[in-house]
Amino acid sequence: MTAQTITVTVAKDLEDLIPTFMTNRNKELETLRVALGAGDMEQLRQLGHRMKGVGNSYGFELISVLGKNIEDGAKARDLPGLQACITEYTDYLARVTIVYE
Amino acid sequence: MSDLASGRVAQQAAAAFRVLVVDDDPDMAGFLARMLTQQGMHTQVAADGRAALEAIELSPPDLVLLDVQMPGQSGFDICRRLKGQEATALLPVVLITALEDQDSRVRGIEAGADDFLSKPVRREELIARVNTLRRLHETRKELEGRRLAAEVQRKEAIRNAFARYISPQLAERVLRESGNGGEVFRDLSERTAVVALFADLRGFTRLSETVAVSIIVPMLNEFFAELTAAAHEHEGTIFSMAGDSLLVGFNVPLPQKDAVERAVATGRTMIQRFAPIAARWKAEHELVVGIGVGIESGEVVVGNVGAPSFMSYTMIGDAVNVAARLMQMAQIDEIMVGPRASLSLHSLLGRATPLDRRKVTLRGKSEPIEVLSLRVAVA
Repeated sequence: MTAQTITVTVAKDLEDLIPTFMTNRNKELETLRVALGAGDMEQLRQLGHRMKGVGNSYGFELISVLGKNIEDGAKARDLPGLQACITEYTDYLARVTIVYE
Repeated sequence: MSDLASGRVAQQAAAAFRVLVVDDDPDMAGFLARMLTQQGMHTQVAADGRAALEAIELSPPDLVLLDVQMPGQSGFDICRRLKGQEATALLPVVLITALEDQDSRVRGIEAGADDFLSKPVRREELIARVNTLRRLHETRKELEGRRLAAEVQRKEAIRNAFARYISPQLAERVLRESGNGGEVFRDLSERTAVVALFADLRGFTRLSETVAVSIIVPMLNEFFAELTAAAHEHEGTIFSMAGDSLLVGFNVPLPQKDAVERAVATGRTMIQRFAPIAARWKAEHELVVGIGVGIESGEVVVGNVGAPSFMSYTMIGDAVNVAARLMQMAQIDEIMVGPRASLSLHSLLGRATPLDRRKVTLRGKSEPIEVLSLRVAVA
């Protein structure tokens, strides 16, 4: 896996909200890991649903996509699929950089 | 240019438009609030259904943006509750659901939601939907304002019409108890029990012969002003004012259990209020004038009588005729009470109260009747 950055463009008027948004995403990632370890499908479903709604509202399209996959994976109890989503989310948050326009 | 035409009203309404954002996700709530604030709206955020209901009760917003999936009460529960309560039934609610969740939309419609937004939320769609509901809200408020203004005007017109007959307090009571005073008067075109009071100016004939014509009318106006004020003070309804006499009804248009007592009190107040004027007229014009009052109760016909071009709120019946005859017999500062009204008066005053009782034969009546005479002491 390369360490290339992923650039996301966010509306300028949301700039002051983004630090809190990113902090919450990293907390969310940790909660996802714990829920997967505990096999808590309901929490995974709820977290996925939340990611799906909030991600693209701010301009982070992939967060919404991953959120939908996690929600669906939790419903299907697809543990490998969920693990793959969480790994991708970890990678994404590590590489994402934000440009404000 | 009016405020409405200049757009000032619309701007004020926009500035005051308040949206309650209900979402347990602080990032989502923050995003929605930011978008709306940028449109000049005032936003408040609630993190769950309970906080939302508390906020709405404390200060009702103009619109609620409500997430469907929340811990505790769902958006459907909150929406159903708001739409089921009279105070909040018209409060617009926009439910926020997942894009592909058609079932939620159906449930939302059943819960009474006014519109839907899909997550992820596109800002253009959010603003367009909220603005549409805002325009509807403003139109509804404007129509409500116009309706209220029309209601106030209608009541004012009724109040003004009543003011010709009844005291302002009684007019308020009629409006309050009937909702439409006109119906009260229209419905009274029937036989009803009343107490009729006639009062007139004793010595008027000499006044009209000796006083210059130019000052007779102002003097009569002064006389009627006092009598009208006395009638209104005791919530009597003025039926007619002719020549130098006034006809006042009690127990009409609304029931008055103490109608006879009110009539007697009105006669007394009329005499006492007019006494200083009578004294002045005596000093200025050497006239001996005063008020004579006749009162009787009984069933009469009450209603608007006349032609379409001229109608008068009138009462017709024996009690009115007896009251008129008694007035004609009454001396200055005397109240003569007919036999039927005397019965009520007797129970009110008690049998121990000394009253001048005498038999009189009224014009047009074959049998004498027993009447009470009350002399009113004036300063």
